[in-house]
Amino acid sequence: MSEAKRVLVADDSETVTTVLVTALELEGYQVETARNGVEAYEMGVSGRYDLVILDQLMPGMLGLEIIDRWQQEGHEIQTIMLSGVDDERTVVDSLESGALDFIRKPFRLPELLARVRQRLTN
Amino acid sequence: MNATTIGLLAVGIVFVVDIILLLGLVTLKAFHRRRTERHELRRAAYVATLSRHLASQGSTDRIGAEAADDDAFIDAVIDLRNVVSGAETETLTGLVDGLGVAQRQVAKLRSGFPLGRRLRAAVSLAEIGDESTAPVLIEHLSDREPEIRIQCARGLGRMRNTASIDAILERLGIEDPWVRVRFADTLIGFGATATWPLTAYIRVNLGHDENRGVIEAIRVLGTIGDREVGPTLAGVLRVAADPEVQLAAIEALGFVGGPMAIPPLDNALRSSDWRLRAKAATALGSIGDPTVNRALARRLEDENWWVRRNSAAALGSLPGGEQLLLNAMRSADPFARDAAAEALADIGALTNARQRDETGQATEEDLLLLEHVTAGKRVLV
Repeated sequence: MSEAKRVLVADDSETVTTVLVTALELEGYQVETARNGVEAYEMGVSGRYDLVILDQLMPGMLGLEIIDRWQQEGHEIQTIMLSGVDDERTVVDSLESGALDFIRKPFRLPELLARVRQRLTN
Repeated sequence: MNATTIGLLAVGIVFVVDIILLLGLVTLKAFHRRRTERHELRRAAYVATLSRHLASQGSTDRIGAEAADDDAFIDAVIDLRNVVSGAETETLTGLVDGLGVAQRQVAKLRSGFPLGRRLRAAVSLAEIGDESTAPVLIEHLSDREPEIRIQCARGLGRMRNTASIDAILERLGIEDPWVRVRFADTLIGFGATATWPLTAYIRVNLGHDENRGVIEAIRVLGTIGDREVGPTLAGVLRVAADPEVQLAAIEALGFVGGPMAIPPLDNALRSSDWRLRAKAATALGSIGDPTVNRALARRLEDENWWVRRNSAAALGSLPGGEQLLLNAMRSADPFARDAAAEALADIGALTNARQRDETGQATEEDLLLLEHVTAGKRVLV
């Protein structure tokens, strides 16, 4: 039996993390959470995760800064950016920085799960 | 009992009373903290339960009828509605409907509870946005408490309940200025649906009762930005005697834009009141139509600093405006040259002129601009 994929959910909103953890665990993933940018950066560096769902606006470090640092330090971490700010600039910057996908809040849960599934299958 | 004993007794009594008050305050704070913590725990538990409902429609978790009365449940629903969308929002609405939350909040709003609990009910109703509660919210637009009136107007705006537009407008002329502004804000949410009721309101109330509510209504029209209101705003600008109303109309015309906004603003640019000329210059700049460039260039020699500054800034943002600002560097009026130079610096033309000068490619206008700026610096030094 294959081991469950590991997902890190990094968001300072407890409501967002609760919804995502509940939904992802029901899908069979092993989920951990980070509540601020610094924690998310450090947990990501550990290399334990197959995918990170990263909020753009977090205390400590912004999502974009985290991806930039991971890239500079040579960590290859699959990331989906999550943001309540949906201006074109943020979307483009996120994808150019190396995020695999961008999901706007509020999100449709089945769509988000489908995107996670796709990234983890590929 | 001598005076010393009486004095000591008085000090003792004051000390004991202080201690009692201090203990009361500490107890009250501890009670409040515990209540907040308990509320937060219940909210988190509801978020978890509701999340399971959203993630798996077959969830067997039950949400008891007591949730309908629990503010923590309503907070959890509100939080989740900011996180999820689509079918999940409908699932949440179904749960809220099934528990009769809206009806419970209506009962609280209508009760004789203290303001805090009634206000909480009004906020919940505004957030839940259940159309069936619209008549109650309309009824409470005339509640004795202004905060409750504001929440009811906000709820109706969130529902986009068009039947309530007239009721909200009716309050504009009655409310105190701070409430009036909040009521006006709720009308923005209705979008173009509110255009005609607002226009009618302005026509009826302009020139009466110190124009109460008229300025707010004009601002809302400007924010909604429906170009159909151009002639109405032009009419207001023509007939209004109050400069504050005229200024609001000019600003709104700038937001609304379109060809119909240009002639009244062009007229305002020649007003005898400098405030109207300055505001009109900014509005014309924000519309972005270069047909007004010449009119704005003439205002660079206006007697008023604000008019010169706003006209130059507007030219700086308009196609072809930069050339007119450079031309103004030849003006005999030093104030016009000042205004133009400042605007040219703001749009980066000064930096470009310096770069061309360094490579020996400066135009005559570049040199005039650089000379003006250098002369200005010499004076300042």
